[in-house]
Amino acid sequence: MKDVETRPKRYERVIILALLLASLPLILGFSLLTISSLSTNMVTNLDPDSFHSTLENWINLFKGKIATTGGIRVNIWRITLNTLVVALGVAGVVTGISALAGYSLSRIDFRGRKILMVLLLILHAFPGVALIVGVYLLYRLTFPQSHDLVGLYSFIYVILARAALEIPMSIWLMKGFFDTIPWEFEWSGIIDGASRITVWRKIMLPLIKPGVLAVALFAFLAGWQDIIYVRTFLIHPTLATFIEANIEAEYSHMPLIAAAGTVYLLPTIIFFITAQQLLLQSYSGGIKG
Amino acid sequence: MRTAAVWLIALVILGVVASGCIGGEEANTSKVDVQLSGDFTKDVLEIGKVLEQNGVKEVKFSAWGSGDPNSVMRVYGIVEAARRINKIWADNGIDVKITITETHYVASFQDAYEEYLSKQPLGQAGDFFVNSYAFLPTLADEGYILEITDYATAYQSVIDDFYPSLIEASKFKGKLYGLPQDTEARPLYIRKDVAQKIGFDLTDLDEKVKNGEFTWSDVYYWAKKAKEEGAAEWGLIHRKGSAHPDLIQFIFAFGGKLYNPNNGKLVLDVPAVYKWLYVEWKFARDGLLPEDIMSWDWAKQIHPAVVEGRTLFDIGGTWYWTEWQTKQYYAKDGTPRGLKPEEVKEWFYYTLFPAGEKGGEPVTLSQPFVWMINSKAGQLNPKYDELKDVYHKLAFLMIIKASDPDINAIHSVISSHLPVRKAAAELIKDEKWLNDLKSLNIDLDEKVKDNIREIVQATVHPINAQFLADVSYMLEYTHLAPAHPKYPALADIFKEAVDKTLRGEMTPEEAVNYIIQKVKADPELAQNVEIQGEVPKDWKFPQE
Repeated sequence: MKDVETRPKRYERVIILALLLASLPLILGFSLLTISSLSTNMVTNLDPDSFHSTLENWINLFKGKIATTGGIRVNIWRITLNTLVVALGVAGVVTGISALAGYSLSRIDFRGRKILMVLLLILHAFPGVALIVGVYLLYRLTFPQSHDLVGLYSFIYVILARAALEIPMSIWLMKGFFDTIPWEFEWSGIIDGASRITVWRKIMLPLIKPGVLAVALFAFLAGWQDIIYVRTFLIHPTLATFIEANIEAEYSHMPLIAAAGTVYLLPTIIFFITAQQLLLQSYSGGIKG
Repeated sequence: MRTAAVWLIALVILGVVASGCIGGEEANTSKVDVQLSGDFTKDVLEIGKVLEQNGVKEVKFSAWGSGDPNSVMRVYGIVEAARRINKIWADNGIDVKITITETHYVASFQDAYEEYLSKQPLGQAGDFFVNSYAFLPTLADEGYILEITDYATAYQSVIDDFYPSLIEASKFKGKLYGLPQDTEARPLYIRKDVAQKIGFDLTDLDEKVKNGEFTWSDVYYWAKKAKEEGAAEWGLIHRKGSAHPDLIQFIFAFGGKLYNPNNGKLVLDVPAVYKWLYVEWKFARDGLLPEDIMSWDWAKQIHPAVVEGRTLFDIGGTWYWTEWQTKQYYAKDGTPRGLKPEEVKEWFYYTLFPAGEKGGEPVTLSQPFVWMINSKAGQLNPKYDELKDVYHKLAFLMIIKASDPDINAIHSVISSHLPVRKAAAELIKDEKWLNDLKSLNIDLDEKVKDNIREIVQATVHPINAQFLADVSYMLEYTHLAPAHPKYPALADIFKEAVDKTLRGEMTPEEAVNYIIQKVKADPELAQNVEIQGEVPKDWKFPQE
């Protein structure tokens, strides 16, 4: 006799089929995008005759040519690096702040704790677009006079602004993870004379490693995929803004844009495949102690 | 609670004050001035000396452009202008040089405009900005581009070489804000092979179109015959979308107008719009024009239908001529490929957009691109406050140089846009110059040569140059889409109405009423659009 509840097998197949059907449009969309990037023209239906294989799009993309005979070169590696800087920056800021704040909210009963938790939820309810006018005003107010600093400033600003949108939810996620760790782990550390910050760093963080990684992952993807904030505040292009500016349905060589789109999708696909288990844990709000 | 309220009020006041400070007028601190004489070399040398005396050894500029991949001279023209000015300085021992730090070029000109709008106030937009004349009034009104009326006075001889209508398109409230970079016409293409099958004689057709003898009723007659006799799948294919204002040619062809210069308002010319929609409706109902064409794909449906001869008529643009050669739209042999120049010549006849009714005027439509100078041009350079005027005049001289006939002619030939200067129009007829261009044996920046090499190989051909020479006359019949800030909103409504009419969801009369309702429902549009005339009674199409 099994010690856990199991679902009847006949339902399992139905559920898998339903999930597969639900994901079919996405899988189909991603597949057509990738196939198109390897074709001379866009493959927008399932007609095999419309596929004419070529590697030209990928070669042109890595050469930075935005059209097959176009004379403009862009540095696609630099654009990818810009995207990576924003994504990693957002991931770093969000993870750092939410790990500290989540711990405080979980463990310390300070004044205004409950109000802060409610406010964080309210903050999360605001979509980024709704805040953009205010965020832009602040951007203009703090804009550096020196042109040499503008590039750096715009990176820092977009990372902070984008991270700010992710932080409220991430704090709640981290709090959920910290809540699952029994007090005894900390007490033993504190009795041995460790400070709160040492306990947090040396005992608690290793215990919630899956949670930290999940939050970092979500934040990374948020930074990687963002277009509105990046377009408004960042001086340099990222993959999102590059693709957007070059999707001009009449002029663009769309299979080349499909190749850029595939590059843009890669981290998302890789992360979701490799971190499925981690994501499931974070969605359920914690880990087993 | 009271303290919190006080803090809140203080914050609001601070915010209001701060926002008032943003975008304020900059103090005019320019101290050094140079007078332009109209002698280009002399002016360049004078500016070079002033820069040298002020310790400036390098002047940095950036160029922003947009459009189809073959139109890259829109930014490389600036690179070449910098090289030519540098050469003048070097030849005369002046130790200053211009460096183009960025050539930013994207496909979507609307996107480029929005990016310029958002980055100009922050001082992060390009020093040179080439885009549609339609955006010029807004940019000029906002103070985002430089007024060059006074500078241009010294260069009247150059200005006089531009086609006057294009110079007019570069003005706002009578002041000059840019120099024309290119323009185009939108011919009606006719497949010669399909025409031959149905006995449609194309001899002197362009003359009949010019005289108003061949009208849209004739287009309908031959389109129907081509369809009925199985010579082509469609009678007519046309462009789609609202950003591309091609279909408004119908309004002008039926004697209507879109803009009232007396009060600066857009015009909804009800009779002309009704006739336009009726023609579209009739073509679609008779199966001559795809009823879902407004959602057709450019690369997979619209262009292949035309280059593969599945239609008799096509409302297109001059740039199609080389686009059909450089893009792989033709897939009749299996693997998609571009057309050869000889094939394009053999298969396509071209003429003006015919008049709507007998005795009317044929038309075409242009959307000139204009070289504009950022009102903050040169701000990244040393001593900007002192030398602002010098930098601005240097920027002006750069667009004068970038308008050199050979630079303009190169752009025209490789992108199939029409020259904006008469001297450039003459140059493209010069066979020796064309051969030199084909082999890139011309005086051009090496980097530019490298980057346009493939386009040159694919497009420079006597047939293409001849085409440009042949269609240049169309500029005499050209109309411009209104350069009005609310025009895009009206164009969107037109697009919806055309789509609904083509699909048979509305009759032409219902579609006109739909446009009127939509205009009236939008307070800003209602204020900016004048509704003129009524739906004509007893109007028939096709006419006898």
